[in-house]
Amino acid sequence: MEFSGIFWGVIGWMIFWGVTGSIVSRRVYLHKDLDTSNTGLVGSMLGAATGPVGLAFLWMKTPEITTRMMLFPSLATVAVFMLTFSISDPGNLCVTNGSFVASQISNGLIIGIIYGFMALGLTLIFSILGVVSFAHGEFYMIGGMITYFFTTVWFPELGPIVGILAACISTFILGAVFERVFLTPMYTGKVDRPVEYGILITFGLAFTLQYFIQATVGANPVKAKRFFDFPKVRLPSAEDPWLIKTSRGNMELFDTISISNPRFTAAVMCILVFLALMYFLRRTWTGKALRAVSLDRDAAAIAGINPNKMNMLAFALGSMIAALAGAMLVQAFSWLPQVGAIPAMRSFVIVVLGGLGSIPGAFLGGVIVGLVEAAGTGCIPNAQKAASYIPAYGMIVLTLTLLLRPTGLLGRKYASGTHGKV
Amino acid sequence: MNKTHAPNIAGVVLIAFFMAFPFVYTADDYPYIMHILITGFFYAILTASWTMLAGYAGQFSFGHMGFMAVGAYTTALFSHYIYLTPEPTNFCTEFAFGDGYLIVLDPIGVTSSTLKQDCLRQAMEVWGDGVAVTPMPVWLGITLGTLMGGIFGFLIGTLVLPLRAAYLALFTLGFSEILRAAISAEIAVTRGQAGIELPALFQDGVTLFGKHFDKTDKLPPYFIMFFLLLFCLGLLGLLAKSKFGLFVRALREDQDAAAALGVNTTRYKVMVFVITSMIAAGAGATMAHYVGIISPNNLVILQMSLIVAMAVIGGVENIVAAAVGAILLEFLLEMLRNSFQIGPVEIDMTVWRLVFFGVLLMLTLRFSPKGLLVPTIDYFLRGHIGKETVAKRGQNKPDDEPGSEAVN
Amino acid sequence: MKKIVSVVGIAAAITLSLSATSANAASCPIKIGGLAPLSAPGAVGGGEAMRDAMMFAERDINAAGGVLGCKIKVVIADTEGLPEKAAGIMEKLITQDGVVAVGGAYHSSVGVASKDISNARKIPTVFAETWNDTITGDKQKYIFRIAPLSSWASGTIWKSALLTPGLKKVAIITENTDYGIPAAEETAKGLASGNVDSTTFGVDIGTQDFSGIIERVKATNPGYIIVLNTGEAGYNFAQQAADAGIGPQDLPFQAGQVALESKAWWENVPDGNMAFVQRIGTPVSLWNAKAIKLNEDYKAKTGKGAIESYALEAYDSIGILAQAMIEAKSTDGDKIVTALENISYDGTLGRIYFPYGTKKDPSADGKGDEWWHQWPDVALTMIQYQKEGQDSTDSPIVWPDAYKSGEAIYVK
Repeated sequence: MEFSGIFWGVIGWMIFWGVTGSIVSRRVYLHKDLDTSNTGLVGSMLGAATGPVGLAFLWMKTPEITTRMMLFPSLATVAVFMLTFSISDPGNLCVTNGSFVASQISNGLIIGIIYGFMALGLTLIFSILGVVSFAHGEFYMIGGMITYFFTTVWFPELGPIVGILAACISTFILGAVFERVFLTPMYTGKVDRPVEYGILITFGLAFTLQYFIQATVGANPVKAKRFFDFPKVRLPSAEDPWLIKTSRGNMELFDTISISNPRFTAAVMCILVFLALMYFLRRTWTGKALRAVSLDRDAAAIAGINPNKMNMLAFALGSMIAALAGAMLVQAFSWLPQVGAIPAMRSFVIVVLGGLGSIPGAFLGGVIVGLVEAAGTGCIPNAQKAASYIPAYGMIVLTLTLLLRPTGLLGRKYASGTHGKV
Repeated sequence: MNKTHAPNIAGVVLIAFFMAFPFVYTADDYPYIMHILITGFFYAILTASWTMLAGYAGQFSFGHMGFMAVGAYTTALFSHYIYLTPEPTNFCTEFAFGDGYLIVLDPIGVTSSTLKQDCLRQAMEVWGDGVAVTPMPVWLGITLGTLMGGIFGFLIGTLVLPLRAAYLALFTLGFSEILRAAISAEIAVTRGQAGIELPALFQDGVTLFGKHFDKTDKLPPYFIMFFLLLFCLGLLGLLAKSKFGLFVRALREDQDAAAALGVNTTRYKVMVFVITSMIAAGAGATMAHYVGIISPNNLVILQMSLIVAMAVIGGVENIVAAAVGAILLEFLLEMLRNSFQIGPVEIDMTVWRLVFFGVLLMLTLRFSPKGLLVPTIDYFLRGHIGKETVAKRGQNKPDDEPGSEAVN
Repeated sequence: MKKIVSVVGIAAAITLSLSATSANAASCPIKIGGLAPLSAPGAVGGGEAMRDAMMFAERDINAAGGVLGCKIKVVIADTEGLPEKAAGIMEKLITQDGVVAVGGAYHSSVGVASKDISNARKIPTVFAETWNDTITGDKQKYIFRIAPLSSWASGTIWKSALLTPGLKKVAIITENTDYGIPAAEETAKGLASGNVDSTTFGVDIGTQDFSGIIERVKATNPGYIIVLNTGEAGYNFAQQAADAGIGPQDLPFQAGQVALESKAWWENVPDGNMAFVQRIGTPVSLWNAKAIKLNEDYKAKTGKGAIESYALEAYDSIGILAQAMIEAKSTDGDKIVTALENISYDGTLGRIYFPYGTKKDPSADGKGDEWWHQWPDVALTMIQYQKEGQDSTDSPIVWPDAYKSGEAIYVK
């Protein structure tokens, strides 16, 4: 009882001043004829963290809003929130047990990297085509399915790399064909509202793919074998391996943080592919062309880049990235035709949080969402409900982002020439 | 006679058909067909209101099933937890209310045994048979559900004011998902995945024109749902033709331009959300009472995709077409349940029908973006337009030709 | 004007064609409805198993000469696991397909929502895998059940857990459904009666990643873990727990029902050895010829390791209805109910009968209403996988003593 009393009291106070701050600050800045684009965020965060004191300062001085001014109040708000939590529930594991916190954080980080990687595909598609692909989760699912069939059912002797490659190639082709057949009318102005058309048509694709796989593969959960086993490592010594200790399927660091093998390989793979992708986008001609199209479609066309080709490449590549995430995770999770829905939603959250169209933003967003989910699951006192709300945590992040900073953390205002307007 | 009247005549014929249907149809599967039609009307209401929101106002919301559930759960919780008794129970939370007491039951959640009882049952055991407990009237629950839908519509509508296109779709999806998670998790109150049971629309039956109908009879709910559909279509149709419809369309075409021309975009955007959510919530509340149970599974994205698909295939920019499309598709989906054999291959239609449905959705969007019904209607409406006008309207494929609208 | 006809005519045409097809009901073949979830959000894996078993029941009954001189036909209906669909599906089976009885059903919520319809329409219904007590607890005339009661099945879970030496603390992981939550409550209560503490962790169905909740479970330092998740979540949790060092090989671990499907279990949970699983139905050593044959056919058709208990139940739900019709010499609902109340049917699960009903109220023996039309002899056992790759049907039964075929191994 006491917990709810103090906690909700403070939260109520924070919300009140946050809302007041966001509304009034905008008015104040507007009144003084200043830029109001980020007043909502600064006002609400300052209000939530410091109450009327900080707000009074803000309203009197009305300083120009810098990145630093957005960052510090936000961090302060998180700190106040955490402090309130620890005061009101001093017995909570998240407050008392350091190694518990450490392992939750490492869990959140690792899964966040994988989430972020998957979201990367979505953001790539968006930055070039201006389409939010609702079929992203289904490409993830198909990637896993193909890898499973290759590595476990059809050619178990070939090794995981072949399966992963097969998943990548087939989803790349599927993505390219779909883009050619169904998305081309968007560019020629044949469709009244291209953004909505994009949403609906990918939605239809998701629907079709999911049921197609269910009709052909069935609904029994499957899972690929572990791709690699950890070598046996005991450091610094075999007797007292406090630094690192591995078994076939698990790695333990500092005696506290345990990382399972499939997740570890998935995360490492995601980072490697991410680096390769960054190299591709920044160093190769095609990659530069892609980025050029995402910045200014018309100018790119004048410079001799065929934007239509780039559209196809981006959709195929983005879908392939989702499939790759699925291919890496099919050794960690049991796989079903319905498996894509939740990761797809999570990717939406990440992409909006990071800023639609921003590639580093997707990675940052992924890590943040991973951490928020870990915190929610780990810290909510009611054990029976904590994990029941997992799907909601991400959505709360999404809601807050859309309300406070719709462009996302690292988003550009206009992600894609014509149809990506916020 | 003029071709232009054809769609209107078709509409009248259709209404007459549905009015007469329950009286002329007598096959053994009568209750089942009636059930499909009632469900079809329900989807038609949702689809029509979503069409208003998405097709007219351009707000591609994926939270429509969420509003539906708000209505259904409001009336479910209301009828489940609140009762009137003439005497205090001394077990429950209770307030004096007129001559009697308003009883609020304690939530007991999902229990595996019927023996665990709530406070009212305990009190009734003490009372014996002497005390009459009055449940809340169903119509009051539905009204409250509709109002609650309006309130949620107002809140969401206000929150999404600055959002457009993809952001709006994601936000509303989020709303629906949070609602689903909350209903699933708060088992003590909502009974979670088990679903919460509701009294029938007419728990004690109803007498119409001297004939008594039992609570399981399909005729009264059929006409309630049908008239609700007609009412909603009428309301939406009026709105679409009025100034409201014009402004809302302006909102869709170019929000900034509309604002610059003096349209209060904020007000209209919120209003369209409130109206359509109220319709969805009202339909949800009525349907929940008809079916007798509501569970959070209605909020899974698949259910929402049904609405979207129905609207698109019917015609996302024509309310009536969307509604008729919804009824037809619901019928089709039910009829396609049976497996059939082509030579040695048995096709299990329970799954494949949804694959075909998805393909149909994609093909419709791609090759006939105005839906499958609207071009037919347009053909009649525009029959009198000179041939040269049609010819001038672009070198599009013949399929697309009736679609290029004059509104732009 | 021609086009108007096509606009209006579609619905009319469908109507006409329907009324034409449904005219020839209530003759050969005799139709029996079979409920099973075959599309999401239902548990499709379970539904497909039940569907296959019910088709085998149809085949076997017809091979044995059918019923009342007719062949029978099992009409499978997809419930989608949705209570709001269930009512419509039951309506369809009865009024459109003209079934005279209904078997099957997997989700409890589906059973609860559909039983009123079949009862009102006087169609005898034998529920196969719906555990929720309320299904028989309403004492409806036409409703029977051969699955265990939820409150009673939980007894197996906690009683066998209490046998663990030195047990102080149990972690219960449950899906937040009408199956999981009551079972978790009953289990927690039972454990408390043996002075064992327990913490319940609820998860949303469809959860894939359990790492956060596993850390929490780990932090409570349990001596025993009970998983009440159905579907793939049961696999996901077990394997991820094993990865984190609290799997079946690290401490006594009771896996969810899905673990019975051995082939999928070893594929999805390679580190799943030593897991305990609750099993419904008599031990394989006591199986009758019927069950052995069905198991062979089933394995050949599905490629699975062994038949699941809910498939056995589904098979028997159809079989017992067919026998009741033969004994009643009629397809009339009331006569079938009378026959069912007096039946003694040798099914794959054992001898099935219903001691309580209109003849004798459960209260006559001091039992609760939920024992109405309930088969009381469902064999509930606890098995343990003790070798990697073992079949659940070959694994030793460690509880109760009546069926025991091996000693439990408590790891650590």
